[in-house]
Amino acid sequence: MNPLLQQFLTEARDFLQTIGEKLLQLEKAPTDAALIAELFRVVHTLKGNSGLFEFPEMTRVLHAAEDLMDAVRNNKLAYSQELADSLLDAMDFVGMLCDEIEVNGVLGGNYANESTRLSDSLRKLNVAAKVQTEVTAPPPEHISTPEPPRLCLPTESLAQLQLLPEIERMQAYRLGIQGATLHWIVYTPHPECFFQGEDPFFQAQQTPELLWGSVVEREPWPKLAALDAYQCNLDFYMLSAASELSLQEYFRYMAEHTQIQLVSPQWLIVPTGDLNGGPVYDDFVNDALALLQAGDLQRLSRIAETMLELSSPDLWLASALRWLLLILELAPQQVEVLQALLESISTLQPIAWDSLPSWPVANTVVAATPAASPPPEQNAPDADVPDATDAPISATVTKVESSRQLLLETIATQQGILTLPLAESWSIGRMQAAANALGGCLHALGAQEHLPTLERASAQALAAKDTAPLLEFIAQFLLSQSPVAVETATFSSTPSTPSSAPAPRIDEPAPALEHEPEVKFNRRSEDNLLGAKSLKVDQAKIDRLMNLIGEMVVSKNALPYLAGRAESVYQVRELSREIKAQYAVINRIAEEMQDAIMQVRMMPVSFVFQRFPRLVRDISRRLGKEVNLILEGEDTEADKNIIEALGDPLIHIIRNSLDHGFELPEIRRQAGKPAVGTLSIRAIQQSDRVIIEIQDDGKGIDPEVVKRKAYAKGLLDEVALERISDQDAMHLIFAPGFSTADVVSDLSGRGVGMDVVRTAIENVNGVITLDSTPGKGTLLQLSLPLSMAVTNVMLIESNGLVFGVPMDNVVETVRIPRSNIRSIKHAKAAVLRGSIVPLKALNALLCIDVAPVANADDELAVLVVRFGHESVGLLVDNFRETVDIILKPMNGVLSELSVYSGSALMGDGSVLMVLNIKELLQ
Amino acid sequence: MSLEFKKNQVAFKDSISVEDAETLLEWLQKKANAKVDLSACTHLHAANLQVLMAARPNISAWPEDSRFTRWLKSALGQI
Repeated sequence: MNPLLQQFLTEARDFLQTIGEKLLQLEKAPTDAALIAELFRVVHTLKGNSGLFEFPEMTRVLHAAEDLMDAVRNNKLAYSQELADSLLDAMDFVGMLCDEIEVNGVLGGNYANESTRLSDSLRKLNVAAKVQTEVTAPPPEHISTPEPPRLCLPTESLAQLQLLPEIERMQAYRLGIQGATLHWIVYTPHPECFFQGEDPFFQAQQTPELLWGSVVEREPWPKLAALDAYQCNLDFYMLSAASELSLQEYFRYMAEHTQIQLVSPQWLIVPTGDLNGGPVYDDFVNDALALLQAGDLQRLSRIAETMLELSSPDLWLASALRWLLLILELAPQQVEVLQALLESISTLQPIAWDSLPSWPVANTVVAATPAASPPPEQNAPDADVPDATDAPISATVTKVESSRQLLLETIATQQGILTLPLAESWSIGRMQAAANALGGCLHALGAQEHLPTLERASAQALAAKDTAPLLEFIAQFLLSQSPVAVETATFSSTPSTPSSAPAPRIDEPAPALEHEPEVKFNRRSEDNLLGAKSLKVDQAKIDRLMNLIGEMVVSKNALPYLAGRAESVYQVRELSREIKAQYAVINRIAEEMQDAIMQVRMMPVSFVFQRFPRLVRDISRRLGKEVNLILEGEDTEADKNIIEALGDPLIHIIRNSLDHGFELPEIRRQAGKPAVGTLSIRAIQQSDRVIIEIQDDGKGIDPEVVKRKAYAKGLLDEVALERISDQDAMHLIFAPGFSTADVVSDLSGRGVGMDVVRTAIENVNGVITLDSTPGKGTLLQLSLPLSMAVTNVMLIESNGLVFGVPMDNVVETVRIPRSNIRSIKHAKAAVLRGSIVPLKALNALLCIDVAPVANADDELAVLVVRFGHESVGLLVDNFRETVDIILKPMNGVLSELSVYSGSALMGDGSVLMVLNIKELLQ
Repeated sequence: MSLEFKKNQVAFKDSISVEDAETLLEWLQKKANAKVDLSACTHLHAANLQVLMAARPNISAWPEDSRFTRWLKSALGQI
């Protein structure tokens, strides 16, 4: 899963959480405008974010929710309990989608219905309040019916079906009778859809398993001169044999503009043609009805053919006769249909399909998979159908009777399955499956008394690897039931029976709707078990942990002292050794713990870097400069505080660089440089520090200009002006109140740039260095600690005092024989590995008038420290161990003592002064 | 790739994009008895289709693809 999606999911969860909370708060204070505005903002953001991905189902619901909240926000609609319920429902749905995306990485196509239902219910709330929603909300007549396709056929669809030419309808009917599911699709694209890059014509043409399609104009065409080619005025009608699911998947982006309706094949039986003329048909109808009653379909078909030959093919009656013949050919068992058609011939009225049972129930084969016993209620397709009492030969049965019959059929089907020849290896599984199915049916029938017999039979069958016991059981069981049922069941189980699939499907959606909340909540609770993998923790809690581990580090440092005392004061060497051993263990754990907590706080610098491309682009655009930004080492990590502290200084630096550093393309070309400047920002980790380098190839900093400016601003006196080196002059740009720009622009130049930067960097123990070559460019280097909680210092002794030197500054510790120390004028130096290292006595630097103490071999302890780019040797009396301390900056009067960077409390209770090498050597 | 206009006839070549609808409409607005040759057309954007439906020019040749032709014929009422 890509990081963007990952982030979206994490955020979406937060948002959903917030939305839930806000909604609940709103229930207590329904008029709180701030709360409503906040809620709108969150929904809006979530919608916007979801739009980044291809989750139309999610975006649609969120969009509707957003519109609704917008209406509430603008006081067009009052907050209500109902509204909150709908919104919460919608958010649950979105949450569920998030879960699905988290697990699978993509969304399945089966949410379109639910999504449309939810967004419609949200929109209805909106419409109910007579709120004029914006263009995005489709006009109400384009909203597809919120209920899943039902059996009752809207009259308009019936009329639309007549758009199909008879031959196409007959073809489709044939397919439908053979078991295909037919769907009537009405696609009414949004008038503005061309502007969204849609091609509805293409969309319609590519409809899966398209049988027939047509385009009609929605409104009558205006005069050609007044036509707007880019206002979609087309409606598309399609008949497809694809499943509802795949159609929904296909039209998922325009679900709001699409109606998908399950079509019963018999609805296609609509005779068309000229109603007048032709012979009188009353006799024919009477004869035909009589034949139908008698079941003599062959003769019926013969007289129909004769009648057809007598009629002109354009007549309505001829069309009806053609249909009659087709039904006789394909589905002769559908007596009601034939009857209705014949009656329609006599009355010349279209068949009122509403009054007929949608599908002859008795002929339905339950799609009986051996492994699963189908739940009875879903296999009762006639449950919702109005009683077909007006059909003379009615197979009407009560609901209970019918489901019972279906179950018996299922049982009979098992019989068929068991007798099928099959490979040896599969037979056991098949028997097991059949037995399970039988058990399920028995339960559903309420015939539990037969269950032990079944179990015995299946056990025998499995043991003997022979289906005979099971078959015997089925035979006996069916015998014990009514003989009629057996007969029907056996009849229906023949595989050639038409209309196998559609019938059970038709009613499925209705029960599914009732079960839906339950299903949904099951899913959700189950998914909660999976749990979110990332925790969101208040930073204060982490900070507390950080402080605690800091304290722990310090107090663990007391143990070596204790060990020392045990030995020196109490003379118990054994105890001392044990304490040391324990200390080693605690030390290790504490370090690991510290490391782990640090890891929690670590963030990549990309957190700050990611806004630069945009920033650079915008600013350079505004300044008319061309700058190419190069980012490197974005995954370098550092403590959250450090990273956050970096943000503003870096932006200042970049602005400064773009504003003052880079020249205009014209000037650059004249100077022989490429017109496009390069600004590179690099992050590197060096041991326990993060180095960030910002380098530009602009005009650099002219020390003379800086000097003059500084003098003009009174930052330098004349004497200093003469003496100051170029390097130091450049660093003057960090002085408070300094600005080199002649004009104060809206970007920089108000004199608050670089000193603020320096302060911010130094606040997090960072160091900023500047290196610039006039005409070539400027390099700014920020060196920051990885973490600021614990500092590692080396202890040194000088004149009986103990000082700490930050390990960052320490290069090495050496002992140099006094004879190897040279004096150059007053300064001392030594050659260390071929290079000259100036030596300075710490005592002298601290104004202690005592010479460094040498050891027995007359060697002086030299602590080589880093000072800027060079190394300097500090003469001290002795080296001690390194310790981790929590450095507390100097407060009050002591803060004047810049030679110390801070103090720390040691394990033995003493106070350690930590030297600031930079200040010390300057 | 585009529309080829002759004196009184426009030939559709390959796939006609949404941008072409404007040109087509302007052309058809000027020609009262325009003819349209669709024989080399493989697809046209819905915007073009509705321009044709509104203008009802004479179609001198239909596309080769029978399914496509069926759509067009039903749309242009020439079944």
